[in-house]
Amino acid sequence: MTLWRLEWLRLVRTRRLVALVGIYVFFGIVGPFTARYLGEIVEHFGGEVEITFPDPVPMDGIAQYVGNVTQIGLLVAVAVAAGALVLDARPEMSIFLRTRVHPARRIIPPRYVVASLAVGSAYTLGLAFAWYETAVLLGGLPVGGMVAGLAFHLVYLAFAVAVVAAIGARTTSVVATVGMAVVALLLLPLVGIVEAIGRWLPSHLVGAQLDLLGEQAAAEYLPATAVTILLVAVLVWSAWRGIESREL
Amino acid sequence: MITTRSLVKRYGDTVALDGVDLEVPAGVVYGLVGPNGAGKTTLLSILAGLRSPTDGEVEIDAERDEMAVLPDAPRWEPWLTGREVVELSVGLASSGAALDVDAVLAEAGLADAADRRVGGYSRGMLQRLGLAATVVTSPTVLLLDEPASALDPAGRRETLDLVRRLRGQATVVFSSHILTDVQEVSDWIGVLDRGRLLYQGSAEELLGGERSVYEVRVRGGARDVADALGGREWVESATAVDDRLVRVHATSVEAAERDLTAVLAETKVRLMSVAPARPTLEEVFMELTR
Repeated sequence: MTLWRLEWLRLVRTRRLVALVGIYVFFGIVGPFTARYLGEIVEHFGGEVEITFPDPVPMDGIAQYVGNVTQIGLLVAVAVAAGALVLDARPEMSIFLRTRVHPARRIIPPRYVVASLAVGSAYTLGLAFAWYETAVLLGGLPVGGMVAGLAFHLVYLAFAVAVVAAIGARTTSVVATVGMAVVALLLLPLVGIVEAIGRWLPSHLVGAQLDLLGEQAAAEYLPATAVTILLVAVLVWSAWRGIESREL
Repeated sequence: MITTRSLVKRYGDTVALDGVDLEVPAGVVYGLVGPNGAGKTTLLSILAGLRSPTDGEVEIDAERDEMAVLPDAPRWEPWLTGREVVELSVGLASSGAALDVDAVLAEAGLADAADRRVGGYSRGMLQRLGLAATVVTSPTVLLLDEPASALDPAGRRETLDLVRRLRGQATVVFSSHILTDVQEVSDWIGVLDRGRLLYQGSAEELLGGERSVYEVRVRGGARDVADALGGREWVESATAVDDRLVRVHATSVEAAERDLTAVLAETKVRLMSVAPARPTLEEVFMELTR
């Protein structure tokens, strides 16, 4: 039994992986469906008020998916990551690991990598469902734009998990970690309103999945990618430091 | 060998450890006793590297991965099985001297529950599992915090036997407030109270040293004996515990040994025995912490 297997079992036996994949796949299925039939749905429940929607285009299916998963999906992802990365939430459990793994910071990489892979896989699977359904209901999407957008979004998700890791190494509460991480991740887009720095922030990558289906060039996201990768390294290093300096 | 020099630990204004000079010889079972809040867990946590001292030094003649720690209330992820916990302990150990997992689980009395998830274990079973996960890697230093506190009498007996068997193979420091347990298995004893180490030394020295308390057993008339002894200059107190037993506290061992039998002869009671009272650890502990 290794720390890597322990993290895999954590995902599988606590059904966190099912919850994570379930929520992303759910939005992957519902997103394009909603985009295709929004007019009919509103008409059915709208009563006598008549609302006219423009004809849906393939990009709308992905827009619905990305819109949903960057809110509810991200919240679930942060909660799942915090469940693994708040090492000292139960001190009696962490004593077992801390007194056997030297230095204690070695506990972090398996937790961070497995949580990131789980979140990334869930996003990718949900996107695959959204892509397929969009193709069936609304029409085809450019493969290059979709794959490039996926790659940029995965970098952003790795950043989100790194934020959880850095906070989780300094708290003993999963709930507090989730709250602080969500606030931090929600504040970034607000900072990004300032145009001069917006394209350098990790939150800029969230828009890539949609924008790359249009005229936007992938180079637009390279500065934010570089900054995000750097921040991931700093945050994971910060988590290492936090774990090493904490007393039980 | 484990040594601490002038070890101090403060939590804000509270002094948890106040200049502790611990000396644990290699290969002994060192029983650390003290009332609640004495600083036992803090001391063990510092030795385990889980907390840093405010001041002072710690020296342990063992690598970090040769040490194993068992907290007083061990817990694991509830979705792991008992076997997986022990296997994880083996997997995390860098030394290759691990024992057979099944044998260790059987010795801990968990053979039948090995494949059950630990979320369904009782506290006693968790403590047994903790011991199994601790000894399976054959550590050279074991730090056990109240290892038998949650166990039933049979489990406690097995745990004490296990600790006793480790003597000579590993250095064991274990804390307990169950003084009879400590007295039974410890070679060395440390008495900690309010962060200060009031005593440390061999158990034999602490419990078997020269002591000025005697028990006099007679066939009746214990009260007369107590009265006769009460008037002597060297007698601090003489108490008839019942009609056949007198407990005598002397101010001088030498005077007691010279004069005690003479006084008894004067009373003409039917004498059964006179012997120094071997103190229990509890009595010594109460004297030290008074």
